[in-house]
Amino acid sequence: MNAPHVRQALIALCVLAVGALLAVGAVSIPAAAGYAGVGPNFLPWAVAGALLVCGGTLLWQALRGGLRDLAPPSGASHGDWLALAWVSAGVLANAALVTRIGFVLSCALCFALAVRGLRGAEGRPAGGVRQTLVDVVGGSLISLPVYWLFTKLLAINLPGLTGSGWI
Amino acid sequence: MNELLVNLAGGFATAATPLNLVWAFVGCALGTAIGVLPGLGPAVTVAMLLPITSQVEPTASMIFFAGIYYGAMYGGSTTSILLNTPGETGTMVTALEGFKMAKNGRAGAALATSAIGSFVAGTLATVLVTVCAPVVAEFAVTLGPPEYFMLMLLAFTTVSAVLGQSTLRGLTSLFLGLAIGLIGLDQITGQVRYTAGVPELLDGVEVVLVAVGLFAVGETLYNALYEGRSEATLHKMNRVHMTSADWRRSWPAWLRGTAIGFPFGTIPAGGSEIPTFLSYAMERKLSKHPQEFGTTGAIEGVAGPEAANNAAVTATLVPLLTLGIPTSVTAAILLSAFQNYGLQPGPQLFQTSPALVWALIASLYIGNVMLLVLNLPLVGMWVKLLKIPKPQLYAGILIFATVGVYGMRQSALDLVFMFAVGLFGVAMRRFDFPAAPVIVGMILGPLAEAQMRNALSIGEGKWGVFVERPMSLALMVVVVAVMVLPRMARLLRSRTVA
Repeated sequence: MNAPHVRQALIALCVLAVGALLAVGAVSIPAAAGYAGVGPNFLPWAVAGALLVCGGTLLWQALRGGLRDLAPPSGASHGDWLALAWVSAGVLANAALVTRIGFVLSCALCFALAVRGLRGAEGRPAGGVRQTLVDVVGGSLISLPVYWLFTKLLAINLPGLTGSGWI
Repeated sequence: MNELLVNLAGGFATAATPLNLVWAFVGCALGTAIGVLPGLGPAVTVAMLLPITSQVEPTASMIFFAGIYYGAMYGGSTTSILLNTPGETGTMVTALEGFKMAKNGRAGAALATSAIGSFVAGTLATVLVTVCAPVVAEFAVTLGPPEYFMLMLLAFTTVSAVLGQSTLRGLTSLFLGLAIGLIGLDQITGQVRYTAGVPELLDGVEVVLVAVGLFAVGETLYNALYEGRSEATLHKMNRVHMTSADWRRSWPAWLRGTAIGFPFGTIPAGGSEIPTFLSYAMERKLSKHPQEFGTTGAIEGVAGPEAANNAAVTATLVPLLTLGIPTSVTAAILLSAFQNYGLQPGPQLFQTSPALVWALIASLYIGNVMLLVLNLPLVGMWVKLLKIPKPQLYAGILIFATVGVYGMRQSALDLVFMFAVGLFGVAMRRFDFPAAPVIVGMILGPLAEAQMRNALSIGEGKWGVFVERPMSLALMVVVVAVMVLPRMARLLRSRTVA
């Protein structure tokens, strides 16, 4: 079995796992069928069963020559995992910091990290301190107006560095 | 008929207030922009903006969201013609001939026929919506839970089994979506399901989270991982102008495209892919210049599909408003916007919120005029958006994703979930699992479940209720046909070849 088929089999196993998880959860949902004859536990069991069947079929296909009717994926055949790591770092840093340093700065940082990763994916130099500063400013120029639009115009709460609603 | 005009006039009165006009304009402009930009579609944009439903009144925000939806179809064609990467799936076919025309220095004519064609089709389709929607709503009142359940089943079937390469993977996506939809309180008994004791999950998983994660974040991560070296060439613009020969060749194609697109939008057939392809095939067959197709680019091949696309998109409002059944991903997200307001689209909506419904329909007329102006004389402005470098574009999308997801529930943990869904989206795209059934499944799933159980209550627990009622039986036959016929056709074809 070659590498893509191993990965396909892993995906199939994930689907099976979700199905199994749903089934385990469905055990604790009472039937409470009433007049309908089917209660709140009916669809959970049905979906769990369907996912197990789908996952099983996917696994069978993966082990027997790979998934059927597969469109070739777009883009490169090998992933640029370093670029993905940079972009991921940006999103996760944003999640960790947004309530601490405010929406604007946190998003600017996310922007800078993501741009760095995406630039690297294009094979261009990531740039030094200067470039990073430019990126942070660029990110702020997007996040600031968005922040104002939401906090000032639409009165939707976003976390700020200060309580003023301006930054 | 008279009542219709009175209703419509009332709708115009509401839609034409300065504030609502501003919402319509911003919606159309934003729609055009995100249609032009690769990486952002109308579904994810509306999803990101769902937090505004907590502050903006329903009529204004529905006018705004609808503007984004059909505005994106105008903008998407610009990208298809100039860049050959369709901005929207519905404009995929436009890229076939449009890009060839642009290559041969006829970008201006292609842009003009697609903008005017979109306007003609959009406006005609709006007239049809105006006339059809009340009739369908009146009819829909007579439908009971069994019929609704069958209609929803039909929507599930078409979105997962008909579209995409593989029925198996489509169904897998659908069931994953249904599984997400199960989380939270059961609609009928109030039973808690799959919340793992987390109180935030009682209301279910936010649509914003899943849509933004799958489409925006997933797309960005996919780009970083696989698409860094993919290059696209931007074609030069020239004067947006059609010769009289272009007009002569375009207008029959617009009308035919509208005629094909509208019916497809009203049935749960998964949006605008099928009608645009059908229209393309028809224009190719009917054209007096078949030699231009696939070589220098035939203007009919742009005009027809563009019209079909816009007519289909406008027509999706008919089942959405009258039956509460979304036939595309964006319509599904519009449905959840209605739900945020505690409104349930369906036949009753015409009685309970006539002002909203008619203002929305009136805004379609206004919006199409706005879009014609935005996309004909001002097309050059949007083309500049295509010059934004990819890293900055996708990193910027992440900022907007954050606003939408965080703004919905003010929870930083949701951003982590969004990232997880994004990773999941990368895997789905790499292994060719369609994303649309996940969204439709999670939004429509709980509604379908409620209809099914109500239907069974009517039938006193017997499944026979679905076949005893003639309308329900007829719909069931359609569902089965939709599942079986394409496969039979494929089987027969492979037999005759072999």
